[in-house]
Amino acid sequence: MNQFIFDIAVMLDNTQWSTLLHESYYMYNWVESTHVLTLVLCLGMLFLIDLRMLGYAFPGVPASSIADRLNMPMLIGFIVMFITGILLFYAVPVRTSQSVWFRFKMVLLVAAAVNAFMFHKRMNESVSTWDNDAKAPSAVRMGAILSLTFWSIIVIFGRFIAYDWFDCEYTDAGSLSQLLSGCINGQAQF
Amino acid sequence: MLNSLLSQYTRSLILVAVLLLIVILEVLEVRAAIYPGLLPFFEWARSSSWLGLIGTTYGSIYATVEAVHLLSMAVIGGTVLATDLRLLGVVFRDLPSETLTKGTHKVFSAALISAIATGIFCAAGVGDKVYYMEVFWIKMLALVAGSLFVFLVKQPLLNSMPHDEINPWTIRLLAVTSLLIWFTVAATGRWIGFS
Repeated sequence: MNQFIFDIAVMLDNTQWSTLLHESYYMYNWVESTHVLTLVLCLGMLFLIDLRMLGYAFPGVPASSIADRLNMPMLIGFIVMFITGILLFYAVPVRTSQSVWFRFKMVLLVAAAVNAFMFHKRMNESVSTWDNDAKAPSAVRMGAILSLTFWSIIVIFGRFIAYDWFDCEYTDAGSLSQLLSGCINGQAQF
Repeated sequence: MLNSLLSQYTRSLILVAVLLLIVILEVLEVRAAIYPGLLPFFEWARSSSWLGLIGTTYGSIYATVEAVHLLSMAVIGGTVLATDLRLLGVVFRDLPSETLTKGTHKVFSAALISAIATGIFCAAGVGDKVYYMEVFWIKMLALVAGSLFVFLVKQPLLNSMPHDEINPWTIRLLAVTSLLIWFTVAATGRWIGFS
């Protein structure tokens, strides 16, 4: 599996557009800035929804109103963030695919997506009975806490990707970090 | 007459006084004279203060605090967007803007405190670097302007009377100014990372 991921990453790395994007100072910075600014949009909206469910924001506003109105800007932010995230990966594919933080981040993104699905399912099933309550029922509150936790850790791990603490170049062969990062024995491209 | 004027518009007058002071300091080149004197403080912040020592010694702590700073900015962004887009009539049109403004202000204030606290830690860790960055000083100026604007102009005005009694253009101007200031804070903050 690691060999397959590495081969795909090397193939992407060898394309001209990947090099151009990586080497372009302004383009790369614009993509990264857009990624971070749309993260502000997406998570800003998401956190407001979660805080409403926990009773910390807009306790007097129906929960369904907050969720319905903020879902669209949150999704717009998420789509742009996702596209720019793919571009950032494409600019530095080998190192990113072998970053232990990136791998944890991807696992957490899947967990956050499953949690979001469950959260909306639980909310839509029961919202008519507690819509005007300051706090949502415990199952929905748990979904909000998980959402806040997952996304906070995703942002922290996203920040950690920039650091080279566990890069394949700087860690010992056979170490746990090399195992988790999927480093390939004798690889020459990083 | 003068007393009633002063008591009625105390906060607005403070803001105008601060802005005038900045202009006077700039015209008299006081800022340029003060600037070199700040360097020892920034060097001390990085190499001798405990914040700087923790930031430079433990990279993982520094990166985590950076991420919390970013999360705080996300919450600030969310509250600013929700409030200002409602004031502009783009979102939440079926909800009273008074309810929304009050609902977001507490969250905004908490996130601002968190962003400032984590921001001080981050700046201390690279004190001798940010001192020379023009974009850092623009961010600081935008942050001060944004905070003064929110606490001395925007909130007092929005809390002073029902929003439908305020001139709609004043409301729109408030919202656009707020969006511009906080976008500047976020964008310059991101640019610090590239400088």
